[in-house]
Amino acid sequence: MSLGIQGLQQTTNHKVVLPFYIYASFAFVLGALLLFLNTELVNTHHFNPYTLAITHIMALGWATMIILGASHQLIPVLVEGKLSSDTLAYLSFYFLAIGIPLLITAFYFFNTGIMMQLAAILINVGVCCYLINVVKSAKTQSATNVHAWFIIMAACWLMSTTLIGLFLVFNFSYFILPKDSLAYLSLHAHLGILGWFLLLVIGVGSRLIPMFLISKYTNDKMLWRIFFIINFSILAFIGIKVFALSESFFYMPLLGIGIAVSLFIRHCVLAYKVRIRKNVDEQMKTSMLSVFQILFPILVLMFCFLIFSTKQEAFKWPILYGFTIFFGWLTAIILGMTFKTLPFIVWNKVYKNKAHGGKTPVPKDLFSEKLYLFMQYSYVLGFVVFICGIIFSISIALKIGSALLLLSAKFYTLNTFKTLNHKAQTI
Amino acid sequence: MSDMKINEQTKIASLLKHSPEALECIVALSPDFKKLRNPLLRKLMAGRTSIAMASKIGKCSPQDFFKALAPLGFEYERNADVAAPATAPQKTEMPDALKKIAQENYVYLDVRALLAEGTDPLKLIQQKVNALSSNEVLVVINNFEPVPLIKLLERQGFKAFILHKSEEHIETYFYKDSSSSFLSDTPEITQTESASSKEHQDWETLLAQFDNKLQSIDVRHFEMPQPMMTILEALEHLPEQHALYVHHKRVPVFLLTELKDRGFDFRIKEMPNTEVYLLIFKN
Repeated sequence: MSLGIQGLQQTTNHKVVLPFYIYASFAFVLGALLLFLNTELVNTHHFNPYTLAITHIMALGWATMIILGASHQLIPVLVEGKLSSDTLAYLSFYFLAIGIPLLITAFYFFNTGIMMQLAAILINVGVCCYLINVVKSAKTQSATNVHAWFIIMAACWLMSTTLIGLFLVFNFSYFILPKDSLAYLSLHAHLGILGWFLLLVIGVGSRLIPMFLISKYTNDKMLWRIFFIINFSILAFIGIKVFALSESFFYMPLLGIGIAVSLFIRHCVLAYKVRIRKNVDEQMKTSMLSVFQILFPILVLMFCFLIFSTKQEAFKWPILYGFTIFFGWLTAIILGMTFKTLPFIVWNKVYKNKAHGGKTPVPKDLFSEKLYLFMQYSYVLGFVVFICGIIFSISIALKIGSALLLLSAKFYTLNTFKTLNHKAQTI
Repeated sequence: MSDMKINEQTKIASLLKHSPEALECIVALSPDFKKLRNPLLRKLMAGRTSIAMASKIGKCSPQDFFKALAPLGFEYERNADVAAPATAPQKTEMPDALKKIAQENYVYLDVRALLAEGTDPLKLIQQKVNALSSNEVLVVINNFEPVPLIKLLERQGFKAFILHKSEEHIETYFYKDSSSSFLSDTPEITQTESASSKEHQDWETLLAQFDNKLQSIDVRHFEMPQPMMTILEALEHLPEQHALYVHHKRVPVFLLTELKDRGFDFRIKEMPNTEVYLLIFKN
């Protein structure tokens, strides 16, 4: 036993992390509101100002911002080290916080000029700050930590996604690419969806889900397999796009992603089975739901390949695909994980290094379970109703579904602020 | 074997790790170092003791160490950052602050038997220290000057005074001196203490309440998520009316919700920046 032992790990300053959470909660409300106001976009081509605006609010303002916030907190935990630089974290927040609204506004009013270009540059600078910070924080510690590699690779793919986005934006005005911007849209989208979101959610989820279920289950070998399968699938997809191979080749990456996702679901289910905590809390239920929701977009794609519908009908499938990703598993995992991570961060802010010899509230006392349940039910119901609205082209279902999602976003934001405003108390 | 640069602050453990033959060289310096031949004492002391501290214990000078170790390939390199060597209180006169405290407030703890049977007394000492109220003095009885312990407790705000009763009976007095400049040096601790004397009272009362019914575990060495698992498993086997005393490297925030769900109550005591003690019990 030595007295020199100290936790190498250092908790990231809450001032770095919390702005991301606050920002994301507003973006979620805005995204759901715009969806509610523009439900008719379901019947139009997906390269449409409103669809682009909503997708980018959800992808950047909501999902990316909260993931950035959470990963600044989680990286030190995963690599048992500390965050390399608080300044870079602040910078990434400021650049993105200014760039994202500019981009959304530019898309919404389809102003492809200076506003969109400036937005794209700001977002790229912000992402670059994040990438540098992640690599510097992770490389100091265990080089073989599979979770750290998921995060590093995901950050690299995010950088390539936003770089392609930058080219696409400038291509609107200067025709720097051989084809028009629409031709590269699916490449840009899939680097983001698979490279950034899927890798990150699997890398972080495979650690946090067993941890929160209090399960000893680990299987690094399998996680490494998933890691390589996803990365090779993305590379295969890029290859098919670059060399303009025939559509039948798309089965390859699709199959790869399908296998990777199934293995991840298996990982979570096995962790669930050997958990110590018998009664699973609501946040973990939402998170487990999200794990299964990853199958939705894959099923939609397979359905599209197998029974390709008429031209007019075809509009709704890409919309359904995008909806099941951004309002589907990405939103669900964030809803669940927010009320696992945020109370932790706020608890540390309020009670750490303060005198608390007496009784102290526990993290789950910091948010309202009732509000959480309202949020969860309105979310699940809204998600199902909206999907039915898309598939069967029922406009009233689209309105009701998006209204429920908006309601869910409001409950989410209320609960987030309830947690943030928690003041020290002894019971 | 390659050379190793050493200075006053080099730990004995590093010397022994680099070259096990150093042990006999050191033992030759002073009969006090014979204790290092005992594997347990070696383990306990070597990692906590620097050459400067050891020379105090052995009543020799650091230079004697450097001279003795030179043939083994250890090279002395003066470290500019090193301030004056470790200063254990050497006054033979009892300090005034200590004299003012009445004899009945002295808590005696003889650790010689524990050491002889091979148990590390540190945890016990730390518990006693934690339970100490502001006007009490802990007197640790030992057969050597516990310089590393003094260093450790000084960081926690204690003054120390050593009294040599005999060769085999050395008393070290640990006490808080409210008149000293310590208060202004480490505001973190004082703030905590003044703000929450009531809560400290609570911690002490609870600790006293579970005095003989305390199970201790140390989870500082574990990697996540082992600490939580270990604590939850220990709680499952915790006898009725007992409390679990956990030594942790940080506040296990996620554990707290689990404790509440299982009907356990807890108290947390944080040492500034280093370690955390948890007391977990059923109400």
